[in-house]
Amino acid sequence: MVLELQKPRPIWQIMFSTHHTDVGLLYLIMSLGFLFLGGALALAIRAELFLPGAQFIGDAMTFNRMFTVHGTTLIFLFLLPFASAVGNYFVPIMVRYKDMAYPKLNAIAFWMIPPAGALIWLGFADFTWYATPPYSIISAPGPAADMWIFGLKILGISSILGAINFIVTILKCKHPDMSIGQVPLLAWSFLSSSLIVLVAIPTFAAALLMLLTDRLGVSGFFNPAMGGDPIAYAHLFWFTFHPEVYVLVIPAIGMMYEIIPRFSRKPIFSYNSGVFAFVLLSVVSFSSWAHHMYATGMSFTEKTVFMVGTLAAVPASAMHVFNFIATMWNGRIKFATPMMWAVGGIALFFSAGAGGVVNSAMPLDFSTHDTYWVVGHFHLFVMGTIAFGSIGYLYYMFPYVTGRMYNEKLGVIHFILSFIGTILVFFTQHILGLYGMPRRIFDYPPIPEWIAMNQIATVGAMIIGVSMAIFLANIIYSSGKGKIANTDDPFGLGGKYYYPFEQKNPHH
Amino acid sequence: MTSMVGLFLVLAVLIIIPAADYVFAAGDEPGEYVDRRVLIWNLFFRMMTVAFTVGAVVSGTMIWLVWRFRESHPKATPTPYEKEGVW
Repeated sequence: MVLELQKPRPIWQIMFSTHHTDVGLLYLIMSLGFLFLGGALALAIRAELFLPGAQFIGDAMTFNRMFTVHGTTLIFLFLLPFASAVGNYFVPIMVRYKDMAYPKLNAIAFWMIPPAGALIWLGFADFTWYATPPYSIISAPGPAADMWIFGLKILGISSILGAINFIVTILKCKHPDMSIGQVPLLAWSFLSSSLIVLVAIPTFAAALLMLLTDRLGVSGFFNPAMGGDPIAYAHLFWFTFHPEVYVLVIPAIGMMYEIIPRFSRKPIFSYNSGVFAFVLLSVVSFSSWAHHMYATGMSFTEKTVFMVGTLAAVPASAMHVFNFIATMWNGRIKFATPMMWAVGGIALFFSAGAGGVVNSAMPLDFSTHDTYWVVGHFHLFVMGTIAFGSIGYLYYMFPYVTGRMYNEKLGVIHFILSFIGTILVFFTQHILGLYGMPRRIFDYPPIPEWIAMNQIATVGAMIIGVSMAIFLANIIYSSGKGKIANTDDPFGLGGKYYYPFEQKNPHH
Repeated sequence: MTSMVGLFLVLAVLIIIPAADYVFAAGDEPGEYVDRRVLIWNLFFRMMTVAFTVGAVVSGTMIWLVWRFRESHPKATPTPYEKEGVW
């Protein structure tokens, strides 16, 4: 059993450790820290948009800086490191190996993230998480923009190192008695997402270098004044970051694959279809990047290809949803906090996917392009599916990390408030988009419908904020003073877990 | 497994082919702006009708599933796997 907090050790022992659970714990704590920082910016953004006109942020430039850092933080410094936390903790245990394949490389990959986070937060760039050229090249103020570019560069290298480690650990270090067809689906999800990272990230790494040299004036790849083309940057960016969506969502689905059978007291309905869907999602993730760019003057044929390529993700996603439903069918489901988050995540995954079909259908995309519909859609994915799966898994792993139980009532309240808040914010933003409100604006005209829907979304965001405060209090209090967990069966489900928690990997 | 893959292939074809048809709503040639907008919004509502129908079925199934197979339901019985203690 891995009990980091129940047997306290000096913090430096954990900080300088290369053991997979220690590195996992560091990832976990850091990612949660950035969750609250990025979330605080989200609340400020929503409060500013409560009414038309400047409220308290002051000017559009500051507003742009806030949503740039909000997006960058929650994607690169919360969701990705949180997935790495779970992977570090459980992948070696699941494949029955003593540690990650390269423990020192693993620690290096982690320790690259805090300086990158510092660069992003101390710079506070204003050019959106997309680093929009030609603005980012010609007039985005430095050194904030340069710090952001270097921060993302470091994060990219960290992701690649982490991905190599996961792939080698799963494929080469799994126990000789374990075939690849017996590797748990959570580990499969890390294998799939790590392969995507390896293929996708180098493209953006190149784009960042080109962006930097363009800013320095020594090249003009994306600078129209020097014969460059900003649309080329869009291709390079989305070739990396549409697959990146799957890098985030695939581990979250893998976490649901751990929770749902456990709490349904049944094995997963179809292991093979889960593996097949992960692999299929990994492949089709590369066939859809240009659906972000229908409005850039692509040819009809190109648009058609990418529309069909995007829709190809629907069957794979549906396979996961049906697998979850079939697993719960005829089960005896215990609705403890992790299960509530997982089921809520599936419900919102379906809604987010339905909105995505509209975005991918090119005639409809023209109506919703760059409106709040898009904001609602991707937030429903990252918050409603990825964060819901991740937070559910955090509750699930809590007794294994701390040796104590979280407060169940507070966990349930956290879920209910977050679920209501998520629906209020992001469903409303879809409708706001249909009413034509553009995204990334500091101020908006006093149209009654826009005001009303912005106010609903802001109230929803505040509800999520309250739920997150409850969550923070719960995990801090429970990790120190919570009830001691029965670490063999913390949720009272009966039965045994199929990965051997009792085989604690000794610290080194 | 094979039957499941077959089922999902059929579903994929059913989803992709009608969707590919929608692209003809937006050509690259200039003109016909008003007609195209009408067509696009018409398609939007058609797709939303389909989405809400499928959504209602899936969500309804999930809500019923959650209600019926919860452990506190009067008809809840241990699953066969609980007797073996492994799942």
